[in-house]
Amino acid sequence: MSTLEAPLLARWLSGVGIMAHLLLASMFIGTITFAVVAEYRYMRTRDDDWRLLARTFAVIATIFLGVGAAFGTLVEFGLVVLWSNFVTLIGSGLVLPFYFELYAFLMEVVLVPIYVFTWDRFRNGWYHWLIGLVAALGALYSAFNILAVMAAMSMRPPGLEIVELPKSIGQVIQYAAVFTSPSGVLNMFWSGAEIFIFHGILAALILSWSAIVGLTIYSHRRSPKPYKLKALRTMLPALTALIAVEGFVIGHYQGELVVQFDPLKLSAIEGMFWSGFKVDPLLSLLAYGDTTHGFWGYFSWPASIRPPSFLPAFYLGFMVAGGVLLGAWSLGLTLYYYDLHKVKGFGWIKGIERLLVVGGPYALVLLAALASIGGAVTAEVGRQPFVLVKAVPSTTGPPEITGIPVGLGGLYNPTLTLTPWLAALIFAVELLMPALAIYMVYLYLNRRVVE
Amino acid sequence: MNAVELATILLAWVFGVHIPLVYTVLGVLWTLPALEYASRGDGRYMVAVKGIARYLIAVYAVGGVFGTIITVFLAGMLPVFTNLAGVLLWPVWATAIAFGVAIALPLIGYWYRTLGHMSPGRHAALGFLTAGFTTVIPLMFRLVFAVVNYPAGVEVVNDPSSLVGFDLVVRNYWALFSNPTYPPLILSTLLGAVAFSNALITFVYGYSSSNLEVVSMSRKVALTFGAAAALSGVWYLFELYYYAPTMAWSILGGMPSTIPASLATVFMPTYSLVAPFIAAVILGLVSAVALLTSSRIKSRALNILGLLTSIATVIDVEEVNLLSHLPYAIIPPVSAAEELASQYGVNFALTVAKVLSASTMATTLNALAVFVSADPAVLYFSMAFFALFTVLVLVGIYMALSWRRGS
Repeated sequence: MSTLEAPLLARWLSGVGIMAHLLLASMFIGTITFAVVAEYRYMRTRDDDWRLLARTFAVIATIFLGVGAAFGTLVEFGLVVLWSNFVTLIGSGLVLPFYFELYAFLMEVVLVPIYVFTWDRFRNGWYHWLIGLVAALGALYSAFNILAVMAAMSMRPPGLEIVELPKSIGQVIQYAAVFTSPSGVLNMFWSGAEIFIFHGILAALILSWSAIVGLTIYSHRRSPKPYKLKALRTMLPALTALIAVEGFVIGHYQGELVVQFDPLKLSAIEGMFWSGFKVDPLLSLLAYGDTTHGFWGYFSWPASIRPPSFLPAFYLGFMVAGGVLLGAWSLGLTLYYYDLHKVKGFGWIKGIERLLVVGGPYALVLLAALASIGGAVTAEVGRQPFVLVKAVPSTTGPPEITGIPVGLGGLYNPTLTLTPWLAALIFAVELLMPALAIYMVYLYLNRRVVE
Repeated sequence: MNAVELATILLAWVFGVHIPLVYTVLGVLWTLPALEYASRGDGRYMVAVKGIARYLIAVYAVGGVFGTIITVFLAGMLPVFTNLAGVLLWPVWATAIAFGVAIALPLIGYWYRTLGHMSPGRHAALGFLTAGFTTVIPLMFRLVFAVVNYPAGVEVVNDPSSLVGFDLVVRNYWALFSNPTYPPLILSTLLGAVAFSNALITFVYGYSSSNLEVVSMSRKVALTFGAAAALSGVWYLFELYYYAPTMAWSILGGMPSTIPASLATVFMPTYSLVAPFIAAVILGLVSAVALLTSSRIKSRALNILGLLTSIATVIDVEEVNLLSHLPYAIIPPVSAAEELASQYGVNFALTVAKVLSASTMATTLNALAVFVSADPAVLYFSMAFFALFTVLVLVGIYMALSWRRGS
């Protein structure tokens, strides 16, 4: 006998843990990428400012990697302890991205320390840069594989079948997910998953670079230094471009995937709170390019399988509105730091200088955080109460939403006793770990200033 | 290549890298506060303490990563086993991770950062506290090893509604600690970790003829703890003989008298590991002789020999411990087999034994094994990649050890 939903406490624990890990992993990706970019600029220009930036960000990346890897272990054991039966799904079907993730993990964990410990050890500095580049690619490849698994949670890959066992194994394992052919495991990286993956990787870069830019603007205002300005002039246009690509290109394709593969999630996140099939001209225009298409409303499905109704706040409020504002702010700051306010026709930038620059650090960090949280909640809560979701067309009503339930008999550990005090302890750890990483970065930067 | 061989190769590799690294983390964590306290801030010792602490910081994360790799391999290659182990032993995993990540990691960072900024006594106390919390990790993980040796506290309940015909149940988690193979296993682990770490310190500093006071101290610690670890190992083997006969049979080469003749085929091991076991004993002895003679003979070759034989001993012992379980993932106890046979019939007992075998665990619901058998190039590429990164781990450790601030 299975229940669809897991206890709220368990879902909160996982949600907070994944968010915290997402923050640490994003910061690692962003900082190591920037270190490599800065070292490249140094190698090309021999400008010591770039060297300083590269070394500083390499160490910061190492801090995020260390705490992030430890936190990853926490999340991994959280998976084994809370959602024990997910392990069987890994082994039976989803294993390949986890297996490839090991290569990525090794690349990061072995090469990042080597990168940090080998400054000036090579006669040809490009070799050192190459180590950093491979380490950064390892970080991106790591994200690629984990996001492939997350994509599968929301959109069941082609060829993957859910098998409900005729009897459970030891009253524990009820479901398996099996590909119909041996090479089917490669479908974990199907085209739909790739869109989800690149959406996630760009989101990680946007989150981390927004935080870095915000802190750099704050620091530059308190004590202006040429290297900080150089960092801003490199990162801001890149950040603006990333937000534009994320919103206008990949975000659009991601939206089309939801339209195609999960109509219930679509109705929940778009706030289509009606019953039955109805034309929505605006959504139709965005999804299909005309105004005539109809969509099944949220109340067309039974309450037991509907995701929460608060999702429009996270999707439209946090992710879409937050993302648009973030892009606008980033564009404004780019124009400002490239001194375009001195150019005829751009004088209006001067008029909003205070808002842009004084409010910038807070706005960038806050908006990027809100957009990321909004996106993550949309993707992960929007598929509740199932994993490996697939919509099966029906001739008599809305598409049938199928998947493995996350509750008892599905993924949830049947022997677990999650008491409030235990949960409180885990919450504390989940929040303290990112705080620890940030504190270590603060200590490191402070020491650098003293030195 | 079949699924069991694939699982065996991958797990043997990752254990071979993980265990020496975490042994040094554990050993160094207990050694450094002792050294710090004994030296009372003596500058000659403190140089070594700081150098070894830097190694600790570099290796803690790498060792942890290999721990994660073990989990992925277990989930990928033995999903049913890992799933059931997660369900049955969740407090064990939860405790290990709570201490390993939540408490030990920040404490190690704080201890490292306050090195030289606190009185030696207070800092050593902080170090011992850190070592104590970190030790909870092997205390828990070795408990899992003990359970797969001899599942004390785990009940087999006949259940016709289960696909495999039975359920595994843990009614009292404290009963897990009653496992007779657990005390000698954890004792030899802790003693061995201290001995191994101090042997490495002796040989590394002996090679470079530096920190000679520390070398002298470490040598004595390595020999004392090494001897104690060897005795614990004998005790462990003794308990295996009675409670995990498949392992004893594999290691000693003959069927233990504890196995009834009628059950010989049930408990027969897959591999005879007599030669690797003898090799481990010889390697350990060579390492001990190198430790003893290095106090009188100043020879780089001798230090290299000692270093390599120490590492090889730890890897060899760990591999023997891992592989001697086969064909089982969890070795069914003789007493349980007899009881199940008398209570539910021989066929039921055989079914339980079959389900607990590595073969069943590895071939059931295993997409990776299916994929690799269809495309073996994936495995060959993996082995080359993993070998390369094993070398790079060593390079990284060397770089960390030889790193100087500001260089």
